[in-house]
Amino acid sequence: MSGRLRNILIGAILATVSLGFLHAWLNLGFDPAIALGFRKAEAGVSTERFRVGFLPVTCHLTCPVTDWINKNTAGKGFYEPVRFNGFPEIKESLIAGYLPATFMLAPMAMALRQQGVPIKIVYLGHRDGTAMMVHKASGIYSVRDLRGKRVAIPNRFSNQYLLLRKALAAQGMSIQDVEMVEMPPPDMPAALYAKAVDAISSGEPFMAQTELDGYGRVLYQAKEVWPDFISCVLVVSQKTIDQNPEWVQRLVDGIARSGMWLEGGMDHRMGAAYAVATQYYNQDPRLLRFVLSKPPDRVKYSNLRLARKDFQEIADLALEAGVLTKPMAFEEYADPRFSEKTAGATEYAWKGNPGGRP
Amino acid sequence: MKSRIESILLPLGVAVLFVLGWHLAVRWSGSDIFPTPKEVVAGTVELARKGVLFKYIVASLFRVSCGYMLAVVVGIPAGLLMGWFARARAAFNPALQVLRPISPIAWIPVAILWFGVSDLAPIFLIFLASLFPIVTASMAAVQNIQLNYIRAARNFGISGLDLFKKVVFPASLPQILTGLRLALGVAWLVVVAAEMIAVNSGLGYLIIDARNAGKRYDLVVAGMAMIGLIGLGLDWLVRRMESLDEVRWGISGR
Repeated sequence: MSGRLRNILIGAILATVSLGFLHAWLNLGFDPAIALGFRKAEAGVSTERFRVGFLPVTCHLTCPVTDWINKNTAGKGFYEPVRFNGFPEIKESLIAGYLPATFMLAPMAMALRQQGVPIKIVYLGHRDGTAMMVHKASGIYSVRDLRGKRVAIPNRFSNQYLLLRKALAAQGMSIQDVEMVEMPPPDMPAALYAKAVDAISSGEPFMAQTELDGYGRVLYQAKEVWPDFISCVLVVSQKTIDQNPEWVQRLVDGIARSGMWLEGGMDHRMGAAYAVATQYYNQDPRLLRFVLSKPPDRVKYSNLRLARKDFQEIADLALEAGVLTKPMAFEEYADPRFSEKTAGATEYAWKGNPGGRP
Repeated sequence: MKSRIESILLPLGVAVLFVLGWHLAVRWSGSDIFPTPKEVVAGTVELARKGVLFKYIVASLFRVSCGYMLAVVVGIPAGLLMGWFARARAAFNPALQVLRPISPIAWIPVAILWFGVSDLAPIFLIFLASLFPIVTASMAAVQNIQLNYIRAARNFGISGLDLFKKVVFPASLPQILTGLRLALGVAWLVVVAAEMIAVNSGLGYLIIDARNAGKRYDLVVAGMAMIGLIGLGLDWLVRRMESLDEVRWGISGR
């Protein structure tokens, strides 16, 4: 090999190595071991910092809020919130064992359990916080008007799908009366704006965004069709429950306490909206503020303990929709121990972060 | 001198026309979702001010160079061997042709299951995407060497590893380099798909993150523009390699 070719080769290797160091320094906090994936690969259940998966939606808001409050009160959080962009990636990371715990669609968690994935539902993410939106200029004013229209839902394993079936059934219609498409929630607002779909339904804040930007209109809020609607749940792997039950309890307690904290006044909600939007979701804070306040019961973080009858209803609808293939006992997919112990939990005693607000 | 000015002015003129057309198209359609070029520039400046633009470029370049270098290290020897030994080609080529048309996007679920949410998963996807053009080009390069070179070398008593080092490799270098150039383009092409996995940096991540952020399509297009411009720079680098003397001999010999 000639000298110049060798120089090019050495240059390329040097460039890769220095890029690696730069990347480690800028994006991964100084540690090249993490840059190459070594650190993360061995960070299973035995290390202190567990990862908890979430999406930038209000159904998963308690995940960053708990971390935010802990960082402000205890100096550091007791888990690492990992933001994902879609449910399929969350599901795969959970199955592969890289996530000991994550927030996830309730029917998806049940279906995964039925397919033999060793996980348990331990707590709820929120209540309500879902709507069906249509274009302001459309002639759709009732569920009946959806006949023959194209309706977007996040996933066939989403509770929004079951909600749509329930809404249609209440009008004597069936899912065959609409054209259903699956679409990642972040893409829904633009699809509605461009009239590529006639109606969209997912968790907030993507529904409120169409209202805020002036082209969306609420066809129904979840609670009008299904009171105390559950979209997402907290799921933990069986391995984590067996090996680190104290940590699971701590996580569930944290979620419960920050849920109560979010219900503890509008200033708490507005503070959290700003902190989460800027530090965790990377969204315009205006959006989360709108969702959490207009109206205040658009999303609820109370009553998050596991209740058998709520899940029975989801399981029945899921079975009917073919999301579940056979009936499943509550104990098979849920572990209510941790949730029951939160009965005496109190909201975080913290006044909020005045510095966290503009 | 005149051709040099032309080589700058002509593409610049096309770029100006393109940006102008884009601006007018957005204006005339009255869209307030799709950004104008000005908004995209403002979005890019905002990213640069926040310091994330540089970080994301480094992250993407790192993943691409890692995956690409791995593909070079594995792909060139594999291709050379398959080009030289007919048996190896007969054994492995069908498998190669089965794997080659599978899009890196299809590998995403598998990559997450194998490598989890670390940098390894995107590196693996980029490695896969750039491996096949390199192997195919290296293999074809050896097969296409003029027999005269090899006969002449043998007449001079060169054989074994020496023949490979002194004749086969240099003679196939031009075609290998074409494969390397193609592979680099592909590697950079899949960066968005590869960074759809739960990494939290990179230009592909920037695009996906901007989708999550509500109506920030200016940042989506800013990410697209950055990927395009850096792609242009990478292609320029590889093309400079093609002008080296070592590489020219294969071509001038024809």
